[in-house]
Amino acid sequence: MKKFLALFLAALMLFALAACGQTPAADKPADQPAGEITLDVIICEYGPNTKEWFLGKGMNGTNFVEKFEKENPGVKLKLDVVSWNDVYTEVDTRIANNNAPDILNIDVFANYANEGLLLPVKDYCPDELFKDFFPAFIDQSVIDGTVWAVPDLASARAMFYNVDMLKEVGVEVPTTWAELEDVSQAIIDFYNGEVYPWGIDMTTDEGQAAFAYYTWGNGGGFVDKDGNWAVNSAENVEGIQFALNLIEKGYTNPNPATQTRYDLQDMFAAGKMAMLIAPNQLPTYVADKGGNINMATAGIPANAGKTGSSVGVMDRVMAFKDDSAPDQAARNEAIGKFLTFFYNPENYVGWVSMEGFLPAVNSAVEALVASDPSFTAWLDVLATCQFYPAAKAEWDQVKQGVIAAEQAALSGADIQAELDKLQTELAG
Amino acid sequence: MQTGLNRTKWEPYLWLLPSLLLIAIFVVFPILIVFKLSFSEISKAGVIGGFVGFQNYVEAVKLPAFKTVMLNTLWWVLSVVGISTVLGFVIAMVLNQKFHGRKIARSILVFPWATSLVVQASVWNYIIKYEYGSLNNVLLNLGVIKQAINWRSSYQIEFIWECGVGIFVTVPFVAFCVLAGLQSIDGSLYEAATMDGAGFWGKLRNVTLPLVRPALTVSTVLNIIYVFNSFPIVYTMTKGAPAHKTDTMIAYLYMLSFYERKKGPATALSVIGFLILCACAGLYMMTVMRKEEEQ
Repeated sequence: MKKFLALFLAALMLFALAACGQTPAADKPADQPAGEITLDVIICEYGPNTKEWFLGKGMNGTNFVEKFEKENPGVKLKLDVVSWNDVYTEVDTRIANNNAPDILNIDVFANYANEGLLLPVKDYCPDELFKDFFPAFIDQSVIDGTVWAVPDLASARAMFYNVDMLKEVGVEVPTTWAELEDVSQAIIDFYNGEVYPWGIDMTTDEGQAAFAYYTWGNGGGFVDKDGNWAVNSAENVEGIQFALNLIEKGYTNPNPATQTRYDLQDMFAAGKMAMLIAPNQLPTYVADKGGNINMATAGIPANAGKTGSSVGVMDRVMAFKDDSAPDQAARNEAIGKFLTFFYNPENYVGWVSMEGFLPAVNSAVEALVASDPSFTAWLDVLATCQFYPAAKAEWDQVKQGVIAAEQAALSGADIQAELDKLQTELAG
Repeated sequence: MQTGLNRTKWEPYLWLLPSLLLIAIFVVFPILIVFKLSFSEISKAGVIGGFVGFQNYVEAVKLPAFKTVMLNTLWWVLSVVGISTVLGFVIAMVLNQKFHGRKIARSILVFPWATSLVVQASVWNYIIKYEYGSLNNVLLNLGVIKQAINWRSSYQIEFIWECGVGIFVTVPFVAFCVLAGLQSIDGSLYEAATMDGAGFWGKLRNVTLPLVRPALTVSTVLNIIYVFNSFPIVYTMTKGAPAHKTDTMIAYLYMLSFYERKKGPATALSVIGFLILCACAGLYMMTVMRKEEEQ
């Protein structure tokens, strides 16, 4: 009896394991009428309004899914809004289980494209819509001449400064590194060290942005003119060393390895920081925090004789292949309908302005500028900004590598040696 | 016809069945999968390829941060489990005494343990914040310090804070385990020891410690496992910054997998962690059990 029971239990456990091992069939409802297509969509949660807009009542009493399905009979959406903290885990797990979404909104795309998981944009994006995207944005999602993703929105970084503080101290807005140091010293002297003149974020979340600010501002960058990795160039070392010197001299927040951009923005909102580099949403952020700061923007300071460059940050929408779909052409058409509906100014303007982002399509500009004239200045910034080389396959490694190099340098290592190590790894 | 004897034979298995099934699905199966993954090629996007032997393990051990992270993990487990056990024991001894407000004191002790670790770590982040942290505020207002102190001025200090928070949230668990053990000790044993002329230390060594050993064993083994596997404190407080100098193994392998996208070495590391944990917990239990048998 004992043996029988043990055998029975073992068999049951094996059965349970086997059941778990089954790859779930694509999440299509079994009772789906013939000819109807269900698109599995993952959208990232940009803020408290995202979920409301896509799934709640945030779109004038209705939501994106309801409105889309009403206007596009035959296409159903199974849409999830996933937080940025979880989205990579979620997507990777689903890919590993052979259950990738049909449409994904995320920042990265190169790994998915390089591994043959994505559909080329031309397969599903209607021509008219494709022409509407800012070409500079589309260029950021090209690998080997093929466009693999389209931008959903963007934000741009610029220097923000506390107008009243700079006026009180009696200094001009710095445009070069030397001026930045002089202004910082003046602020330290005037406020007796109570106010941080400048903010630096070299955290694991966004240290790559710091790398961009100081290397682009010195004529360097992640890649050389031919697009090859050049993280240890002389310009880069000099740029990061300049940032490290600012920290060393006490001109910045004291713990750049753990103080995130949000910590810096909080300090700025509380009047404890005079200048920082931040995205265009900063005024909204400060207002939400109850701060009442008289702020203005300026270009990011650069080394003498060099041109500072704003950093553009862009997220994307991409479509995954699904070889099991019975009618590929109909599926592609459905994805196209999704994009057309999403970028329709009637819907898209609400989406972009809701969380204070910048648009990725021309057709939205007019309406956005009409609703908020300050957009014009940011659109100019956007036109000249540089983007991370996210289309290169090693970008994840480079991003974490430059952050690790900065952080190692913060705790005493030599930045040249650290960047040399990274460059050697990339070459090897 | 079933006899009563027969039923008692299979009944325990029947009652165990739901737990066994759950363990199989949620514990055994994922462990097997991770073992399999650690010998497979895994792409950056998470696509699982073929068998690659020990390649992931070799890559994991060769990672520049591997040594630092392993050493940190050792210090993390030793300090958090060790200090929590000593402090928890002392607190349990105090709470076992009769005094006014004992019940309130016991309830308060539960809070750090009952609160989510992410919340705890975030709250401590705010407490020790240099700019407007409550610790600096309180000390400044009390006049203890004249200038705000940067409580996170170096990575060594950051790591000590992480361990401190780890200890803070672990002490209550030890205290309650030991308290349960203390309450089960028959008072007459202490009376007998007193009659034999034993003082405080004598009673502690010869009566209390041997009798609370089972409770201490349970709490220590569980703590080794919990603390080794603890992710939220490190991830919330520092994310391992600067350059993994404050990372422990579990937080590091998460970063490795989802930030650096080195998924193969990350799974290999998680298997290494699992084996270390099995070895440590197994060794500790075997030693303690042998001692008990000897006694």
